[in-house]
Amino acid sequence: MKNKIIMFWAIVLLTIISIVIIKVKPIPLGLDLVGGSRIVLEAQTTETISTITQDMMDGLKSALENRVNALGVSETSVQQMGERRLLIEIPNISDPKLAREFLGETAELEFKKPILDENGNTKGWEASGLSGDDLNKAAVGTDAAGRWLITLEFNGKGANKFAKLTREFKGYPIAIYFNGDSISEPVVQQEITGGNAQITGEFSHDEAKKIVDLLNAGALPVPAKIMEENTVGPTLGADSLHKSMVAGIIGLISVILFMIFWYRVPGVIATVALLVYAAIVFAIFKLVPVTLTLAGIAGFILSIGMAVDANVLIFERTKEELKAGRTLFTAINSGFDRAFTSIFDSNMSTVIICLILYFAGSNIVKGFALTLIIGVLVSMFSAITVTKNFMHLVFGTDQLKYPALFGLKESDINEAYEATETKREKAKFGVLD
Amino acid sequence: MSYSVFNTKQVLDVVKYRWLWIIVTIILLLPGIVAMIYSSIVYPNHSPLLVGIDFTGGTIVQYAVDKDVTTKEIGDLRIKLQNNNIENPVIQVLKPTSVDEDSTIKNIISIKTKFSEEGQNETIDGVSQVVTADYPEAQLVQTNSVGPLLGKQLFVKSMIAVAIALLVIVIYLTVRFKLDFAIVALLALSHDVIFVMGVFSILGLFCGVTVDSLFITAILTVLGYSVNNTIVVFDRVRENLKFYSKKATYDEIVNASVNQTLTRSINTSLTTLLTLGSLYFLGGVTTRDFVLAMIIGVVVGTYSSIFFANSAISIWNSIVESKKAKLEA
Repeated sequence: MKNKIIMFWAIVLLTIISIVIIKVKPIPLGLDLVGGSRIVLEAQTTETISTITQDMMDGLKSALENRVNALGVSETSVQQMGERRLLIEIPNISDPKLAREFLGETAELEFKKPILDENGNTKGWEASGLSGDDLNKAAVGTDAAGRWLITLEFNGKGANKFAKLTREFKGYPIAIYFNGDSISEPVVQQEITGGNAQITGEFSHDEAKKIVDLLNAGALPVPAKIMEENTVGPTLGADSLHKSMVAGIIGLISVILFMIFWYRVPGVIATVALLVYAAIVFAIFKLVPVTLTLAGIAGFILSIGMAVDANVLIFERTKEELKAGRTLFTAINSGFDRAFTSIFDSNMSTVIICLILYFAGSNIVKGFALTLIIGVLVSMFSAITVTKNFMHLVFGTDQLKYPALFGLKESDINEAYEATETKREKAKFGVLD
Repeated sequence: MSYSVFNTKQVLDVVKYRWLWIIVTIILLLPGIVAMIYSSIVYPNHSPLLVGIDFTGGTIVQYAVDKDVTTKEIGDLRIKLQNNNIENPVIQVLKPTSVDEDSTIKNIISIKTKFSEEGQNETIDGVSQVVTADYPEAQLVQTNSVGPLLGKQLFVKSMIAVAIALLVIVIYLTVRFKLDFAIVALLALSHDVIFVMGVFSILGLFCGVTVDSLFITAILTVLGYSVNNTIVVFDRVRENLKFYSKKATYDEIVNASVNQTLTRSINTSLTTLLTLGSLYFLGGVTTRDFVLAMIIGVVVGTYSSIFFANSAISIWNSIVESKKAKLEA
C-alpha cells in the first residue's frame, strides 16, 4: 500500500510537470494548420554539371536559406530530402507567389565583354570572368533623377577584375546579364578602380529590390526546379485547426461518457488516466518537438482510441475475474496481467508498422507515424501505472461488496465460478486452473 | 446461451457457421474487387482507384466562397477556364462542415488541372482571373501542385512501405504466436484493406472521390487496427489453449475466446467510432475522406477479427488434424 501511495504522488508530479511544459512551450503547428507554403525543389544537372555532389547540395541549401530569410518571415525551414531534393517550408506567408519566384531563380549575375568586329562595333557578347561570385554586397539606390538603380560592391578580386575590364573596354559597351537576360548595357566612360559599380536600367523599385535580395543571398550553385508546391491559406488553416480541436474534444467527451456509463467507477478512473495520458503525450510532443499537422492530429486521436482499448481490455478481464468470485485485489492484478499480453502484442505491432512508416513514408505519413508511436507507448505506460494504481487505491483489497460499482449485477458474481472446475480457494489467490 | 467450462456466456457460435462466414467475407469483397478491375481497365492510367494529384501529378487551386454554387455556374466556370488556356479543368465543390455559423467559408471550389513544367504561377494566375471574375469575394485558400515524377515515386515508396510492414507483421506474429495465426491475421488484414480500397474504388467511380497520400495513411491505420483486433482475439485463443486444451476441443476454445473478447471488441470499436465520427461530422473538410476510410476500416476490421479470422483458424486446424489422422491411419 505504501508503494501505491508513492506511485500516486509520482503520477501527480509527472502530470504537473507535463502541464507546466504544455503551458511554457508553444507547440509548433504544421503549415496545413497555420497556413503557408511548402515547396520541394530538385537540383538539376546541366551540360556542365553532370553529377550533383553533396557540396553542391550544401551550397544550394545555404543559398536558399538566405533567400527564404530575405522574405522576412520567421520559422522558415530548409531541409534536404534524399540526395537531390530540398524541402522548404515558409509559414504565414501572405504572398506565396513571391516565394516561388524567389526560389526557382538561379540568380546568376554576369558581366559580359563585347566581341568587336573590325570597325569596333559590338557584334556579340562573351564571358568576362566577372560574376555574382565576386560580389561583396548589393543595394538599391536612386540616381540624381530619382530613378531606381542597383549599386554593387565587389570584393578584392572582383574589384581587380572590374578595373581590368573597364580599362580594356573604355569607350565600349559592356553587358550585365541576370539569369541569362541582359538587364543593362552601359558604355564604359572610364576605368573604375574603387570596386563599386552601378546598374542603371528601367527598374521598378520591386524589381530592383528582388534582384538585390537575390544577389545578396548568392547564386544557386546548380539550377533547381520546383517539383511540388503546396500552399494553404491562413483562413483554411485556422478553420481546420479549430474544427479538428472541436471534433477532438467532442470525441473525447463522448468516449468518457461511454466509459463511465459502461464501466462505472473504473470508467471514472479510466477518464482520469486518459487525461493524464493526454497531458503526458502533449508534453512529449512539445519536448521532441513534434510539429502538429492534420495527419498528426489524426494519429493522436487514433492513439486515444488505443489507450481506451487498453483500459477496456483490463476492465473486461477484471470483471471476468470478479465474476469468478475473486477478491478485488486479486481480480485487478490478474485482470491486468492477463490483459497485458493482448495490449503488448497489439501495441507492438502498431509500433512496428509506425516505425516502418516513419522511415519509409512521405512527410505527411511521417507526422502521423510519429504521433501514433508516442501515443501508443505512453498509453501502455498509463494503462499499467495510472489505471492499475488508481484501481488499487480506490478499491482496496476486500471482496467486492457493491457489484454496481463495476456495472455488474449481484447475480453475476460467483455465477461463472459455479461452472468452473477451479476451487474457490485457489481462485482467490489468483491461481488459474 | 449456455455455460461451458469457460466463464462466459455463449452468444455467438462462430465455428458452427465457419464456411458461411468465409463465403460472406468473400461476397463482401466482390463489389469492390469488381470496381477495382473495372477501374483499372477504364482509367487511362490503369489504376484500380481514382488517384489524386499526389500520385499522378497536377495542380489544384482551391477558393473559398461565401455563397452557394450551382451546377450551372460550375459548367460556365469550366468553359471560361478552358477559354483561358487552362487544360482539362476538373471542378469540384466541397462543403465544409459548419461548426460556427459566422464562418466565411461556405463552399470550397476546387479546380484541378495539369502540372506545368514552367512553374505554376501562370496556371494559378489564369485560374484566379476567371474565378475572381465570377466570384469577386473568392479567397484563395489552397494551392497544391505535384510534378508527375514525384507523384509516381511517392506511390512506389508507399507501396514498398506497406509491403515491408506486412512482412514484418507476419514475422512478429510467427514469433509471438504461430505461423498459422500469422497467416490468418495476414488474410484478415488483407481483407480489411481490400474492402476499404474497394469502397473507395466504387466511390471514385460514382462520386469522383480521389485518393491522396493521406489515404495511404488511412490504409496503414486500418492495417494496424485490424492486426490489433485480430491479435486480441488470438491472444485469448492462445491463452485458452494453454489452460483448457485437455478439457475442450480446439473449436470450443476458439468459440469461447470469441465470446470472451466480444464485449471488448464491440466497446473498443464503439469508442474509436465515437472519436472518428465526431472528426467526420465536425472536423475539417481536408481530412474527411481520410476519416471515412478509417471508419470503414474499423467496422470491417471488427467484423473480420470476430467472424473471418476465427472461422479461418478453425478450418485451418481441422485440415491439419484430418491430415494428421490420415497419416496415423
